[in-house]
Amino acid sequence: MDPNSGYLTTTVDAVVNWARSNSLMPMPMGLACCAIEMMAFAGPKYDVARFGSEAMRFSPRQADLMIVAGWCSYKMAHAIRRVWDQMADPKWCIAMGACASSGGMHRCYGVVQGIDNFLPVDVYIPGCPPRPDAVIHALMDIQEKIRNQYSIKQDYAFGPQRASPKDTAPLMVTSSGIQQAEPDVLRDHSVEQP
Amino acid sequence: MALKFHFTPADTPRGDETNPHAKATTEVADTVQALREAFGPAVQDHLTYAGEHTVYIAAEQIVAVCRYLKEDLGYSYLVDLGGVDRFVEDGRFEVYYNLVNVAGRQRIRLKVRVEEDAATVPSVTGIFKAADWNERECFDMLGITFAGHPDLRRMYMPEDFAYYPQRKEFPLLGIPGSLPLPPQTPEGSLTMDPYAAAHGQKPVKSYEEPRSSK
Ligand code: SF4
Repeated sequence: MDPNSGYLTTTVDAVVNWARSNSLMPMPMGLACCAIEMMAFAGPKYDVARFGSEAMRFSPRQADLMIVAGWCSYKMAHAIRRVWDQMADPKWCIAMGACASSGGMHRCYGVVQGIDNFLPVDVYIPGCPPRPDAVIHALMDIQEKIRNQYSIKQDYAFGPQRASPKDTAPLMVTSSGIQQAEPDVLRDHSVEQP
Repeated sequence: MALKFHFTPADTPRGDETNPHAKATTEVADTVQALREAFGPAVQDHLTYAGEHTVYIAAEQIVAVCRYLKEDLGYSYLVDLGGVDRFVEDGRFEVYYNLVNVAGRQRIRLKVRVEEDAATVPSVTGIFKAADWNERECFDMLGITFAGHPDLRRMYMPEDFAYYPQRKEFPLLGIPGSLPLPPQTPEGSLTMDPYAAAHGQKPVKSYEEPRSSK
């Protein structure tokens, strides 16, 4: 290799987050009228391929973003939760529309009053139905969230849950279990700081 | 002030010569007459409203009336069947049957009233196969039993649900705890509180996954 050709340094996080955020594969959980707008979101006019999410995955094993579009009945909730549990970590969830976020106008015995009663929702989209632009905006919010994540330090299986993406001090194994380290733990205290 | 209800005057049937599309399809006085002659007191009453004939039938005769209408008078198409909770003391539940005679261009509506403590109507699935799911829906929502139905299960609600949600006394938002939500982790127990998130029980994003048993 030509030593004068130049090189680039980066962190693993930056590369992984870049790749992850630009290739989100949605699991289209279309339940009602909102699903029609979700199709428009993936179609050529709104063209979510610009954001790398045009590949809808109908298998939860291949998807990492669940878009719950439409009102969800108590009976369907169990199926949705099962699909969600089959998606591999890391995964994200969008509650699309008034119904998925809060039950919406279906304030009745059969419809779950907000899917956040049984799913961890990352982004809520208001509207009935939301325009496809709003769904794209939600997707961009998820991308923002991913880009602020420390993908390597976050241990999904055994790490404690983080309060926010900013809360990213390294984890340390101590005698009292896994703890969040002090922010300056990596500094060498024997050296005088300027 | 009492509410006034107007139906459009055009609902009065017009003869073929004024409008070729408006046929006197819902005024079926001859059918009502034939029913009265064939079944006598089992035809309890009939009503004309907005140019439509509705016939009240005694519950135990509904199968015979449907068979007569289908086989002798040509009403071969069951358009709709459903239930009504009238929420009154006498004859609380009502089941209606909309029938069409396609060849003769006639429509008729039958109604059957039953009491709350004996809410059983003979099933007409033996005559109209289409009645199967409608009767199941009616059973699911109102708790009217259809005697002789081949497969009287709930239609919409889970099979272990204990209530009939379209009865007027059922609360609009349901009975908390009667419809559990899924567990919040794969191996957790069912979420019994329908407003878990509002009560501070939000599902967590990451949990300790079950280790593989190796
Ligand atoms: S929010 Fe509106 S468009 Fe979306 S599922 Fe509910 S009723 Fe339908």
